[in-house]
Amino acid sequence: MSGTFTKAMARNIFYGGTVFFFLLLVALTFDTMSGLPKSDNRANLTPSVLAGKHIWETRNCIGCHTLLGEGAYFAPELGNVYPRRGPEFIKAWIKSQPTGAPGRRQMPQFNLTEQELDDLVAFLKYTSEINTQKWPPNIEG
Amino acid sequence: MNTCAQTLMPSLPVQAPAPAAAVRHLPGDLAIWVFIFAELLVFGVFFITYAFARSNNVELFNAEQLALDRTSGAVNTVLLLTSSFLVVRAVQFAQAGESRRAAPWLAGAFACGGGFVVVKLFEYAEKIAAGVSLSSSTFHMFYLSLTFFHFMHVILGMVILVAMWNGARNGRYGPDNMNGIETGAAYWHMVDLVWLILFPLIYVMR
Amino acid sequence: MKYSSQSVALPYFIAAIGLFVGQIIFGLAMGLQYVVGDFLFPEIPFNVARMVHTNLLIVWLLFGFMGAAYFLIPEETETELYSPKLALLMFWVFLIAGAATILGYLLVPYSTLAEMTGNNILATMGREFLEQPLLTKIGIVIVALAFLFNISMTMLKGRKTVISIVLLLGLWGLAVFFLFSFYNPGNLVKDKFYWWWVVHLWVEGVWELIMAAMLAFVLIKVTGVDREVIEKWLYVIITLALVTGLIGTGHHYFWIGTPQYWQWWGSIFSALEPIPFFAMTVFAFNMVNRRRREHPNKAAVLWALGTGVMAFLGAGVWGFLHTLAPVNFYTHGSQITAAHGHMAFYGAYVLVVLTIISYAMPLLRGRAANSERSQVCEMWAFWLMTISMVFITLFLTAAGILQVWLQRVSDTPMPFMQVQDQIALFYWMRLWAGVVFSIGLVTYLVSFFVKGESKPLITA
Repeated sequence: MSGTFTKAMARNIFYGGTVFFFLLLVALTFDTMSGLPKSDNRANLTPSVLAGKHIWETRNCIGCHTLLGEGAYFAPELGNVYPRRGPEFIKAWIKSQPTGAPGRRQMPQFNLTEQELDDLVAFLKYTSEINTQKWPPNIEG
Repeated sequence: MNTCAQTLMPSLPVQAPAPAAAVRHLPGDLAIWVFIFAELLVFGVFFITYAFARSNNVELFNAEQLALDRTSGAVNTVLLLTSSFLVVRAVQFAQAGESRRAAPWLAGAFACGGGFVVVKLFEYAEKIAAGVSLSSSTFHMFYLSLTFFHFMHVILGMVILVAMWNGARNGRYGPDNMNGIETGAAYWHMVDLVWLILFPLIYVMR
Repeated sequence: MKYSSQSVALPYFIAAIGLFVGQIIFGLAMGLQYVVGDFLFPEIPFNVARMVHTNLLIVWLLFGFMGAAYFLIPEETETELYSPKLALLMFWVFLIAGAATILGYLLVPYSTLAEMTGNNILATMGREFLEQPLLTKIGIVIVALAFLFNISMTMLKGRKTVISIVLLLGLWGLAVFFLFSFYNPGNLVKDKFYWWWVVHLWVEGVWELIMAAMLAFVLIKVTGVDREVIEKWLYVIITLALVTGLIGTGHHYFWIGTPQYWQWWGSIFSALEPIPFFAMTVFAFNMVNRRRREHPNKAAVLWALGTGVMAFLGAGVWGFLHTLAPVNFYTHGSQITAAHGHMAFYGAYVLVVLTIISYAMPLLRGRAANSERSQVCEMWAFWLMTISMVFITLFLTAAGILQVWLQRVSDTPMPFMQVQDQIALFYWMRLWAGVVFSIGLVTYLVSFFVKGESKPLITA
């Protein structure tokens, strides 16, 4: 009687509440998607940048590094490595891995071509220019 | 230990003397009060956050607040207060065993809610046309977020009113079955209460 | 065990435990790599060990959820499973696909694995937790659909209970949101936005429904408390979970290029996400206090209560500590994140799977509960793993606070690698705690083989 009714009410609140908040999430998602062009510099999403993203993914850079704070915490944040180090350093660094320093964390050698390196750098440059609400707090990431 | 006591049936039923009418009956079900508490908590957190954001941006908030439509806000306040009164009357009829007479009052409350929705939609249309969005300023973000969040609760409340109206029409409520109508009424009053805080806070107070 | 088809749960549980062991072996390897950076390099670089560790975690938890469903759905619906054969077939498909994937990670350079497995047709690899080749992802969808079909058909022909409905909702949600793993746009902001529709809406969304249903099931069985009470509160808990967790997704949208208002929406709603976990804990303790029977499986009760507490601490409290945007600005992507992640996953999902295994395994082996000695051994395992996980979390939190101070807050910020050197002591301590955790896990394995007079089934 009142117990069953209460469970039914709890059930209705569950379904109602879930639908309510899912719709709200969808509404906010629509608003976010329409607002993204203001922060994502999509005009700069060149084929080179897209190719660079593909390199980033197929070498699983995120398995050691973070990108905009997301990823693994073994190696430095790379969302702002472009302003931190510049394109030439980045390419030279990747070409010279692993360092082989005993006991130090090691990065593999990926045998990337010059084009692939340029694409990857383009991707990292693009990433550093996304409006991330001033994150990270400083150049060290 | 306890299990032993429970499995033994007492040979004489022992009943504690029923407490006198000193025990006040909590209208509606405990579970709904958990939810009402949770809802008020969320709105409360929103309001406090608003106050905090305002304290960091007093001039911006004051300036942009002036552009809000206080007239439609006042109309909406009257509509919600009226609808709450109508719901109270409906509950009284149900309590008196006249469930079917409660139905038109609930319909009236629904109509007032509908009026609120219409006024709000006009208000939003005007503001959006004027360039107000979630990203146009912090004040606008709070204005839209808070009022829209409340607006969705009004719509949900109206759905509940329909369920209550239906139940009343079918004679479901009475002195020994007030749970459903009281619970729905409690929710509607909460929606009203939130507006009574929201309106002065966002539209008026400087 | 009331229905013979419940027995299909057994291989799922065994696989779950086996993969859990694999996960921890690689966890230890990574713990050592944190302080002896070239350990196992170049054969197993850190990123490979990590993807093995995280993927094994997810897969063993999925085996656990599926085993739990195969066990509890027939009992709840009071009918035999629709197709035990299909369940067993899918078991082997999932296990072999999973093993092949892990071997792929270990034996083949990742970019080669990508080329071999059709990543050029649809690029879905290379994102955290979603490292699986396209073929594996498709395999997961097939296994999930077959599983859902099996369970849904069982439910359709049987009694519908709140527990089974909630479990099914959670599992369907799991499958639906997994589909977002196939969507990998070139726009990095969109990529990240929708990635969280898999990860957040899983672990801070539909997985909570799965967890709550499993916990409710075990609590009904071991306490005998009235189903009506438990089921009503189950609805309350999952409502709180979704109502806070859906918009709570916004706490991942602070710094990835999405609009600023997410800092407000995400902070407010995610700050409330601990509430359902608090409710679950209160609920679990309450049910046990109000129990109407003394169930012989005391270990299962311990795991159940432990789930509530550790989930609240790890997911709720530790999550809260870094969920508000002003705090998160400094802690984002630091060891604080790792600390929270470990205790949250352990407290909520590892423990709930171990809870159901603790309850169901004896029944699958033909007894109501294990012997006194076996249960004591199991409880030792609980305490060893749980206490050591608390210490892992504390050490990583300390590491994180120091890291945030040196690298983010200080007026003279230090570079990442230098900071890592500074906090190495905490990594060593974490590693030792991890060793104790492994001892706990071994104890857990041993508990399955401890002899003694088990508690017989009472056919009532």
